[in-house]
Amino acid sequence: MRRLLILLLVAAALTTGCTPRPGGRIVYGLTLSPSGIDPHINASSELGIPLTSVYDTLVYQDPKTGEFVPGLAQKWEVSEDGKVYTFYLRRGVKFHDGTPFNAEAVRFNLERITSPDLASQKARFMLGPYERTEVVDEYTVRIVLKEPFAPLLDSLSQVYLAMASPTAVQKWGSEYQLHQVGTGPFLFVEYIPGDHLLLRRNPDYAWGPPVYGHKTAQLEEVEFRFFTDPATRSPALESGEADVMGEIPPQDAARLQGSKDFRIEAVAIPGVSLMLFMNTARPPLDDLRVRQALLFGTDRRAIISAVFRDTSPVACGPLAAVTFGYNPMVCEFYPYNPDQAAALLEQAGWKDTDGDGVRDQGGQPLALDFYLMGWGYMPEVGQLIADQWSRLGVRVNSQVVSYPEALEIAKEGRHHLMPFNLSGSDPDILRRFFHSQGGFNWSKVNDPEMDGWLGEAARLSDRNRRADLYSQVQMRVMESALIIPIRDYVNLNGVNNRVQGLRFDAQGWFPWLIDVTLAQ
Amino acid sequence: MLERALCALAIPPLGAVSPRRPLGRQPLAMLSLLWLAAVALGAVLAPYLAPTGPMATDPSRALLPPGPGIWLGTDFLGRDVLVRLLWGGRWTLWMGVEALALAVGLGLPLGLAAGGTGGLRDMVLMRLVDAWLAFPGLLLAMAVVAILGPGLSSVAVAVGLAAAAPYARVARATAREIRAQPYIDAARAVGASPWRVILRHILPNAAPALVAFAATQLGWVLLNGAALNFLGLGVPPGTPEWGAMLAEGRAYLRDAPWAALAPGFALTLTVLAANVLGDWLGQE
Repeated sequence: MRRLLILLLVAAALTTGCTPRPGGRIVYGLTLSPSGIDPHINASSELGIPLTSVYDTLVYQDPKTGEFVPGLAQKWEVSEDGKVYTFYLRRGVKFHDGTPFNAEAVRFNLERITSPDLASQKARFMLGPYERTEVVDEYTVRIVLKEPFAPLLDSLSQVYLAMASPTAVQKWGSEYQLHQVGTGPFLFVEYIPGDHLLLRRNPDYAWGPPVYGHKTAQLEEVEFRFFTDPATRSPALESGEADVMGEIPPQDAARLQGSKDFRIEAVAIPGVSLMLFMNTARPPLDDLRVRQALLFGTDRRAIISAVFRDTSPVACGPLAAVTFGYNPMVCEFYPYNPDQAAALLEQAGWKDTDGDGVRDQGGQPLALDFYLMGWGYMPEVGQLIADQWSRLGVRVNSQVVSYPEALEIAKEGRHHLMPFNLSGSDPDILRRFFHSQGGFNWSKVNDPEMDGWLGEAARLSDRNRRADLYSQVQMRVMESALIIPIRDYVNLNGVNNRVQGLRFDAQGWFPWLIDVTLAQ
Repeated sequence: MLERALCALAIPPLGAVSPRRPLGRQPLAMLSLLWLAAVALGAVLAPYLAPTGPMATDPSRALLPPGPGIWLGTDFLGRDVLVRLLWGGRWTLWMGVEALALAVGLGLPLGLAAGGTGGLRDMVLMRLVDAWLAFPGLLLAMAVVAILGPGLSSVAVAVGLAAAAPYARVARATAREIRAQPYIDAARAVGASPWRVILRHILPNAAPALVAFAATQLGWVLLNGAALNFLGLGVPPGTPEWGAMLAEGRAYLRDAPWAALAPGFALTLTVLAANVLGDWLGQE
């Protein structure tokens, strides 16, 4: 009897094998439930996790080299003045509903995105100074810009500018987000907001970019579920409720890493690091010495170790180290030095004259208003900073606010400090934060020279020239002590070991599910 | 019925109908009182018992299990959980007292005015209170915080407002019950004004029941105030308020359960103690 059992087990092992096999289904855990998931309209990073596999983009970015490779466009040309992009499209591509993909479809999509009626929150802005799209012939299309815009290819490689079926968009109208149709390796089956989103393999897929490892998807189905409470993510993974889970809390990551059934795939996300913007327009932070003192007085290493359990690198400047154009020289600035911090505060005239432990000047205590949002470990980071600064004699009044409130406060400049981070693979993202007209200019900086660099870098197509300009910007941001960088974002994906071949795009957020296989 | 009326005529009740058992013979009530006293004392004496304060971090001592010197362990920033618990009593209890004062201050006059006079006034006031009661207490409190903005005092106001409606209902019921007594008729017959009747005759006789219900309400406001803080609507991050501590400790439940269990138990015991005391006070 026992021998028979062993024989059966061996046979079973031989037939199923320990190698990946096609088919099967996984559950993928998302960390928030977006209010809308139309990639052309909504801005959430979470929507791109499933939808990157439903759509194709004109170009793709190789996450290893940062180069752009063909997608739905087989090749492309950029005019001498950088204002006209001509794309030669792949033939024989069909949307999931049978609609043929052609130049007219590209025009339809870009017109949809730029139409004011759509009120696009992200895609529209990713097109920068877009003017119009011209259909040259069935498989040639031209995008015309008002002025050169270097990040265009980066934008076109993201799901927000993905190609949707014109037939489906017209058919469903405002309901389109529930019935999305692309050309990608997976079909959009159903989406029940707040509950789940289901994708099924597209058997006809044969036009994947060279960066994909397989011709068609290896999994039959992928179901996305929402795990908004961080504390539930690791238990869901460990109980088998989910096979892949984004943003595992650092304290749970250590335990999963030690287990034989699970692993942590840590993906460094390019973009703007988690940082505290110092409002240079509001006293006492209008004084460079006070801002520098706060930088010297912040023990970032201790924050990384206590809050992030050493799973993220310490941020040195405004850009995460994995972002194109990152300048490592910024790490020379402001090593932790509380003595220097105290000396700078003394120089600036802040002394504790009444012995209450808080520095004061002219009867005013050195108290700073710190507004932060309840996510992204901002409250935890805020507590540690408040305690570190209390030893310097700086009082911090922190308050948790919602994102809309934060935008309001920033606009009115009521804050002293406010943290934020944002992902994005093109360093043009800096323009939003450090250009005097930037939407996230929470430091209230107005540096015409830096405005010039940021503007020029957005127009140049020469990558090296761009990198030089962004290097200068990063140095200037740190010299002027506009921010306190905290950490580079690292997405800790918890993965069940039966899931293999999980890879992420150049944004670091979006998985290429086509290559995912199951080991049995 | 007749007997009861006669008894009431013979000896106008000054307190509860029958005397409750003394505290000494009610071990549970005794324990509850002791626990509440200990929490209050801990909160008052916190600066002397733990002079470093509840905010001092030391990441090198993060998530240490309970042991000598750190009797309830440390949290993720290396702060002593017991120290935070002691200090936290200040926020938690103060919020509870504030909210209760508001609930009683608002609910008592409303209830007495309605139940002590009756008629149209009673009907209008009680329909208002009914509308108010139609919202679940916590939901009402969340709405109030949303209007006032986050902060411990808005939490106190929110919870206090939510608790005022049931308090008004109980005050009204008690007042009506007493108003039916013959000695009230007697007082009115000799020409006492309605407010004199309420203040001199109804209030003193209603007091025991109202104090008892207030104690029970204390449990409710503590629990719901902590819930709002747990949701991040109250104190700023890092404040050792128990609900906020619970929320923070929850993320570490697997590796350092003490960080969440300690404030959780402290809150449970305090709410329980308030309820047991309320029951004891309300015994007939």
